[in-house]
Amino acid sequence: MARRSPAKVIGSRLLQALPVMLLATFMVFSLLKLVPGDIAVTLAGENASDTRIAEIRQIYGLDRPFLVQYGSWLANAMQGDLSQSLLSGEKVATSIARAFPNTLLIVAIALVLALATGIPMGIVAAIKPNGLLDKVVSMLASLGVAIPGFWLAMILVAEISLKLNLLPATGAKPFLASPWEAMRHALLPAIAIAAYGMAEVARQLRGSLLEVLSSQYVRTLHAKGLSMSKILWQHGLKNVSVNLFTIISLLVNRMLAATVVVEAVFAIPGMGSLIVRGAIQRDFPIVQGVVFAMVIVVILVNLITDLLCAAVDPRIEQ
Amino acid sequence: MTHDRLAAAAITRRNAIALMTGAAASASLGGASFAQTTPKRGGTLRVSAFTNPSSLDPATGGAGSDHTFLYTMYDSLTEWDFETLKPKPGLAESWSFTDPTTFVINIRQGVTFHDGTPLNAEAVKFNLDRAKTDPKSNIKADVATVASVDVTGPMQVTLKLNTPDTALPAILSDRAGMMVSPTALKAASAGNLNRTPVGTGAHTFVSWADGERIVTKRNEKYWKPNRPYLDGIEFALIPELTTGARSVTAGQNDLIYQLPPRQKAIVERARNLKVVTGPTLYCFQIFLNWGKPPFDDVRVRKAFNFAVDREALVKASLAGLAEPAAMTLPKAHWAYDKSVAELYPYDPAKARQLLGEAGFKEGTVVELVSYPDQDSVQRQEILIEQLRKAGMALKFLNAPVAEASAAFFGNEKRGSGLLAAWTGRPDPSQTYSLQYTKDAYFNAGRAPLPPELDIALKESRATEDIETRRKAFAKVQRLVMENAFFVPLAFQFELVAMNQRVQGYRPNLLGKPKYDDVWLES
Repeated sequence: MARRSPAKVIGSRLLQALPVMLLATFMVFSLLKLVPGDIAVTLAGENASDTRIAEIRQIYGLDRPFLVQYGSWLANAMQGDLSQSLLSGEKVATSIARAFPNTLLIVAIALVLALATGIPMGIVAAIKPNGLLDKVVSMLASLGVAIPGFWLAMILVAEISLKLNLLPATGAKPFLASPWEAMRHALLPAIAIAAYGMAEVARQLRGSLLEVLSSQYVRTLHAKGLSMSKILWQHGLKNVSVNLFTIISLLVNRMLAATVVVEAVFAIPGMGSLIVRGAIQRDFPIVQGVVFAMVIVVILVNLITDLLCAAVDPRIEQ
Repeated sequence: MTHDRLAAAAITRRNAIALMTGAAASASLGGASFAQTTPKRGGTLRVSAFTNPSSLDPATGGAGSDHTFLYTMYDSLTEWDFETLKPKPGLAESWSFTDPTTFVINIRQGVTFHDGTPLNAEAVKFNLDRAKTDPKSNIKADVATVASVDVTGPMQVTLKLNTPDTALPAILSDRAGMMVSPTALKAASAGNLNRTPVGTGAHTFVSWADGERIVTKRNEKYWKPNRPYLDGIEFALIPELTTGARSVTAGQNDLIYQLPPRQKAIVERARNLKVVTGPTLYCFQIFLNWGKPPFDDVRVRKAFNFAVDREALVKASLAGLAEPAAMTLPKAHWAYDKSVAELYPYDPAKARQLLGEAGFKEGTVVELVSYPDQDSVQRQEILIEQLRKAGMALKFLNAPVAEASAAFFGNEKRGSGLLAAWTGRPDPSQTYSLQYTKDAYFNAGRAPLPPELDIALKESRATEDIETRRKAFAKVQRLVMENAFFVPLAFQFELVAMNQRVQGYRPNLLGKPKYDDVWLES
């Protein structure tokens, strides 16, 4: 089997991403136009008459056919211009550039926390299935899956911020200007979404490790006298790493989505808050811009995962 | 606390403030003491604001929630009295109607815009002309009666009106009266100051990051003596009010405004906070579509008004922090009319009788549009129960605010009524003409109205004398309520929570916070 160069893999992946991008932005655009509620009414102000609202539609080009509006957005986006908020006039690219690092920091910390807790839990559980530790782990994992992120977020604020005053209750700080402060602000929201991640990692890892450990070649390894820890670290984990990478990529995408709610609870001006504001006000350039950016992120995450998987498992090639 | 005691407390507090001329008062309904000290200069006030403004240009913005930001950077030609909303001098030192269609404004001397441009008659004319002609101006309706603006002196403009309009002094306390720098506007590439506001206000603009923060700093050359006290204001834009309230409890912000009543108990439990409340024009009401059944029959509309127990609604769903509404104006307003307030006492039997006369079959389902948030749903539940007693079965079709109002007022004509709220306008005539004229957007059915109403509305704008206007509005309100064109429910109180350092904050009847007299204790 001929090994394809990473450059080729990346190239073909990006090509495949184009239709995804088109479809995603088109669907979101259609949805925004299909739901009732009209930004022209907001744009026309509080004392507007029907004629004024019609006038506003014309001024902002909102009276053009649906496909023409999407086409003009797409044409601009292709040239790197995500246009601007219809209401406030801020460039969408500016909004995204400011919001994305806030969201990214939360997701990064959440991922580290989820892996740092989930991996040991999964291993411990898999070593002695149905043992006491395994039962504790599956209980914690069930809790992690069952607890809604927004609820955990509110409990965390009430206890850790308001009562103990250990961490800030709301807001975000730019990471580059003050990394320490930024992490302090991001920690609680990260914990709130890491709980689910921890559970997911622990459960999936336990499952796949058990499968590997009960396979015939592991029995052979036992038979030739290899120690349990060597089997686990050199063979077991290497074989589940592909699964692990897949879990992580799914998790990152899921956590990005989870920030929508958690950002509201912590008043973090991130991508979640941005798209919610855009959607509520029917400010479609914002929504389109965020979707556009998110599709790129998801595609990148999947691409990196594929490359990593291919690196550890040569069987994944085509 | 019962509603009456609360209202009494609010009034007592206001009287107390009125007595303390010159000094700012710190007020707390929680029974805290009045700490009386001389206002200090300095410090930055951190406000949790619940919305990203639609624009920082008064002429092109669209949301009623923008004003609290605009007030810090712009002055208006007239200002309003905090307690009664009567217009008083602002950038206009004085004004008069020399005849019913000639309105003369004398402009204050020695005021400059933040960019150094002097405020004079030319600048005022420039602004008023822009309000009328700029294609993106959202205040054309406000100045619709102005036919022309003439400079009749270096500091005087004369407005020629196409019809008598004594609502203008009040209207000029709103967006239309906020003066932007002509120099800045002419230089602005976008043709507006949406993101680069330049006014004459107590604060100058520093920055605005959408959905995140708006920062202002002291205008060193401000014309009002000793103002502003604050070095600057930082608005943290936090859409969730509960989250915003937590940021104030945690000390990350100093003040939050327009909290829902159910937050009162929560913020009062936080010992580091104090709470200020006062009546506002913000009126919970049910808009009716009287262009289609069942509300095309006045008896059904009247029945609805008799069937609502407003006292109970206020107690149960607004934590008592509201005034039961009998018309579009609360008791404190200068144009409130007591006799109209007595038209619809709670009387389910009467409601039932009226429905019977109208041939309304017991238990017929009437669909109303409303919102799915916790507070709205609670009000819906109470109304369903109250109307059930009168024989009407309410069904609520809930949708987010933008969708619900577009579906009800726009072309779809969903539902027969909309449970929502009306935010106040500086002059009552605006409120009435926006809802009770044939082609008004807020007349959902675009249905005709009695001709007397139109005449009475015109009368209310024809005279400057406040007593005569009061009488004209009494007539308008009587006509609106006798026809039961809507169901007023309650005026929400302003609920502002702040930490103990914040001094001098006063609620106002419009319900849109101004920070003119606010200072920070060190």
